[in-house]
Amino acid sequence: MTTKRATNVTLFIAFALVALIMTIAMPERFLRLINLQNMMRNLPEYALLAFGIMLAMTVGGIDLSGVSVLSLSGVVAGMILSRHQELGMGPWMTIILAMSAAIVVAAMCGVINGAIVSIAGVPAIIATLGTNGLYLGIAMGLTGGSGLGNFPLQYIRIANGNVLGIPIPFIVFVVVAILLGFLMERTSLGFQMRMLGASPVAARFSGMNNRVILIKTFVIIAVLAGISAILLTSKVATMRPNFGQQYMLLAVLLSVLGGTNPDGGFSSVLGVSLAILTLQIIATGSTFLGFTPFFRNFLYGVMLLGVMIIQFYRETGQLAGVMRRFRQPFARKKPAAT
Amino acid sequence: MKTSFPKALLARHETYLALIIILFSIVLANATTGFLTAGNLLSVMRGGAGLGILSLAFFVALVSGGIDISFPAIAISGQYIAIRAMLAFGINSIWAAFGISIAIGIAYGLFNAFLITKFKIPSMIATLATFNLYHGALLEFVGTEAVNVGRIPTSITEFGRMAIFRFETEQGPLGLSIFVVVWGAAIAATWFIMRRTMLGRGIYAIGGDAEGAKRAGFRVTRIRYFVYGYVGFLSGIMGIIHVSLIRFAQPNNIVDTALLRVIAAVILGGTAITGGRGTITGTTLGVIIIILLDRHLIMLGIPSAWTEFFIGIVIVVGVIATHLRMKISRVRRGELVVDRAH
Amino acid sequence: MVQALLEVRNIRKAYAGVQALDDVSLTVAPGEVHCLVGENGSGKSTLIKTVGGAVQADSGEIIINGTSFGSSISVIQSIRHGIQIIYQDLSLFPNLTVAENISLSQMIEQGEKLTNWKRIREVALRSLAQIEEHIDVDLPLDRCSMAQRQIVAISRALTQGAKLIIMDEPTSAITAEDVRRLFKAVRRLNEQGVAMLFVSHKLNEVFEIADSVTVLRDGKKVGDYQASELNQDKLTFLMSGQNLEYKPFQFDPEKEGAPLLLETRRLRKVNQFHDIDLKIHAGEVVGLTGLVGSGRTELALSLFGLNPPEGGDIVIDGSLVRIKGPEDAKRHGISYLPEDRHGQGLFGHQTIADNVVATVIDSLRGTTGLIDARRRDRIWQEWIDKLKIKTPSGHNLVSSLSGGNQQRVVLAKWLAVEPRVFIIDGPTIGVDVVSKARIHDVIQELARTGMGILVISDEVTEIMQVCSRALVMRKGRIVAEFTDLQSVQESEISQVVAGIDGSEVVA
Repeated sequence: MTTKRATNVTLFIAFALVALIMTIAMPERFLRLINLQNMMRNLPEYALLAFGIMLAMTVGGIDLSGVSVLSLSGVVAGMILSRHQELGMGPWMTIILAMSAAIVVAAMCGVINGAIVSIAGVPAIIATLGTNGLYLGIAMGLTGGSGLGNFPLQYIRIANGNVLGIPIPFIVFVVVAILLGFLMERTSLGFQMRMLGASPVAARFSGMNNRVILIKTFVIIAVLAGISAILLTSKVATMRPNFGQQYMLLAVLLSVLGGTNPDGGFSSVLGVSLAILTLQIIATGSTFLGFTPFFRNFLYGVMLLGVMIIQFYRETGQLAGVMRRFRQPFARKKPAAT
Repeated sequence: MKTSFPKALLARHETYLALIIILFSIVLANATTGFLTAGNLLSVMRGGAGLGILSLAFFVALVSGGIDISFPAIAISGQYIAIRAMLAFGINSIWAAFGISIAIGIAYGLFNAFLITKFKIPSMIATLATFNLYHGALLEFVGTEAVNVGRIPTSITEFGRMAIFRFETEQGPLGLSIFVVVWGAAIAATWFIMRRTMLGRGIYAIGGDAEGAKRAGFRVTRIRYFVYGYVGFLSGIMGIIHVSLIRFAQPNNIVDTALLRVIAAVILGGTAITGGRGTITGTTLGVIIIILLDRHLIMLGIPSAWTEFFIGIVIVVGVIATHLRMKISRVRRGELVVDRAH
Repeated sequence: MVQALLEVRNIRKAYAGVQALDDVSLTVAPGEVHCLVGENGSGKSTLIKTVGGAVQADSGEIIINGTSFGSSISVIQSIRHGIQIIYQDLSLFPNLTVAENISLSQMIEQGEKLTNWKRIREVALRSLAQIEEHIDVDLPLDRCSMAQRQIVAISRALTQGAKLIIMDEPTSAITAEDVRRLFKAVRRLNEQGVAMLFVSHKLNEVFEIADSVTVLRDGKKVGDYQASELNQDKLTFLMSGQNLEYKPFQFDPEKEGAPLLLETRRLRKVNQFHDIDLKIHAGEVVGLTGLVGSGRTELALSLFGLNPPEGGDIVIDGSLVRIKGPEDAKRHGISYLPEDRHGQGLFGHQTIADNVVATVIDSLRGTTGLIDARRRDRIWQEWIDKLKIKTPSGHNLVSSLSGGNQQRVVLAKWLAVEPRVFIIDGPTIGVDVVSKARIHDVIQELARTGMGILVISDEVTEIMQVCSRALVMRKGRIVAEFTDLQSVQESEISQVVAGIDGSEVVA
């Protein structure tokens, strides 16, 4: 329990620090409303995927199919939306239909993932690597590789609109984070997910139904990806099937940064949320500094390794020793002992 | 008590793979006219050699109980850096190409090993990070400029044309591509290491029980350095083979479909993700299944937009079949099996 | 006088304020079978690890074949001088063949770079021949039984020129036949001058195989004895330092008019158990004993839903039920305390609180569908108090507790469900003597509240101390029932268990 709190505190400090640095370094660009709004608008696409990875790690596995579920549900929604004039249902009915379809498709993907893992006994990493290709393949097949467009204006306003100055996607992010927080801390399912990740055998012996828990978990993860798809298609008003495979690294990084134990049993929604906020600021900062997306990815790799290395030293109790050695070169020479 | 030969054969995973290959070949031979020709088969092997080499690398990593998903980035890094270096310094030797690519591959591989052994970072996460590290660094620090056919050093294109056992046919001269020869050499070398050296026994032992391997006297850290270094080595080789095959060097072309196909080939081949088990025969058969699929779905009339889906389906079904079999045999043996995520 | 093979003098070792070994001395002669006995926590594991080099003693002396190593020895030195430790997990590779498992260590030691399969098989066969054993050396180890694996482990030790083989709890997980096979191998080794040091808490085996016995208690040596001068009672007294009080539990269900809670009729599962007619009444403690492989745990798991039977009926409160999984068992009021506390009973790195409420979490939902946190916290705090689980806070990890306290957590977890039938498998495995007695008290108290309890144990002593009646299983059948445990001798029951009472089981 205390390590969870310690991690969250560290993350909060990191977030505050980064925000402070950015404010001081380039206040004119950073503190502009437009910029803050952009950050809040872009964040949820990968944030929800990161939450998905967090859930997967909590049950002791990993779900690499998030981006493809996003693609597929985005394509399905996009296909409905792009035909809104032909369907003649009026824009809002079409939108509701498209959104529901996206979520339903996503949920179905989640059921498939969960079934393959729990019933067939395929380790989650392989199962989702396989279904990742599968769902992507379907998305590619449905679109023939080309993009979709011509969405109703009202739809585009969803992600691009604000409520009291706060971008709607960010509100969605906050709501999702709160719901997930409740799920993990205060529901029976969240508790069982943690225990399953801690020890599947002990969970079974405690009378838990592992199969149901796993399937529900993967459905939730997939639905998160579906929501991401809606936000994304609404924001950019188009849908390309082969989108954002690089988001997986980011999602894993954020989950691990947020204090999730990849072996299962521990996770913190707050931690991952803080990691997401921190990273968004860093990403924006790097764009301002003119970093290319390649360098950003490079940095993410470095960061992930950095976090794991610090984790290693902390766990082996050597953190203090290493920190001491870092401080050594800066230590002043002591006067001769008297 | 030894089981009879036919029964032992049936119990082996490789038998089923061979059967699938035969079945698929029959279907293809009937459905198309061009399949069973020497020209087609040789061409298929030539195109699949790269995948075959990468699969051997992934196989070794998996048997050792780890996983390495950075190999596509290593391959493209070795390839692109070698090409750019050759162009920059006016070198035109295939040996230089291989030398540079292999050197980079081994260096990257050893770095992976360093992260995994010194900081005990789970290999999945470490190589996920280095994938982006290597690829990001390549695009950022070396460049994104593609090198097209006209500028590829001739030594490389020449290399691609090499073949042995040449013979004449109506379609023209045919032979066993040098790529397949290299693949064959890689198979032989990997087989030798895994079956005929204590190093290989050590890799299997670590995959079975790393702690126990240490207690038995195996130098676990050293062996891990070898494993990931070897993955880098083979990836470096594949990088040059790849550019020699397509005669085009595009650093952004990260061959990440390669990742899925390699993993599929190795898992289909019967190697367990948990480590300690797997055969080269199985891996090679798995590779053959994947490359047959890749090339011939179009022949079977499946539109190209749907090839990814089909391959995905085959992989998913294959993986389900493999693991379901394992699960059922464990239940039969009386083991208490619970549903889990890993 | 023959020079001692191994001599340790005045070994001391402390861990974080606890004195694990306090001035312990021990001598093993060549070719003898020496048993090191003591309760859990007595220091026996620490002692053998010190001898094997896995642990460095604080002070004392280790002398092997006359050569002194001071107070600490390295693993390699220990092995080179002929000491081999076989831990309970055997440290074998399930994914490699028998031949590889036996020969690889020797190959490594000899600096071999290439594998010579012929030699690997030869070395393995020769080693097996030394103890007159036959196993197909090409079998992958995961196809071998536990007993075969022990033979493989011993053979491996022999390839490295072992003069003293130390085995940690070798008989815990094998059947009686396997024990005989093991002891045969041990005697072969003795004839060749190889000594064995058994670490054990299973008293019966001690007497059958040992030449001499050293007893440890709380880190100190109680004494060295010849096996011939000891008996069960004396050894128990020496190990625990107290005369254990028998508090026999008397309960006649008919006399008390106790309701029948659970009944099985001709329950069967192929290769596991047949013809099981079992009755559990409210208020009684039924004991089920038998050797490993007799089907007792399989039967228990069957009642709990993890091993559904193939035939026969389970009747609860007079109606037929199907138990397809632990959820069903829980619903029908059946709790099961598993044999493997660590793997099956506890969530190791989770809090005590979470462990206790894990079974009842579903029923803690409030009106909003969310967990009623206050009720949850009240439940685990209650159980910590009721069972006197020693911990500063319920939010501590369960891994920070001692074995006895961990067992209480598992107990709490299953009592929280308020079961009517409680199946307890191996209640005191790995638990110190004092906690053992307390747990027995708790079990009897539970019975008095009206629960029907089924205790499964391979220690006949325990059965006799805790139960009101005992059933013996052998080869999947219930072969005997003892309803009056007062008037029966322990040896009588033990004989039925081992199958040497003359009665044959028709398979």
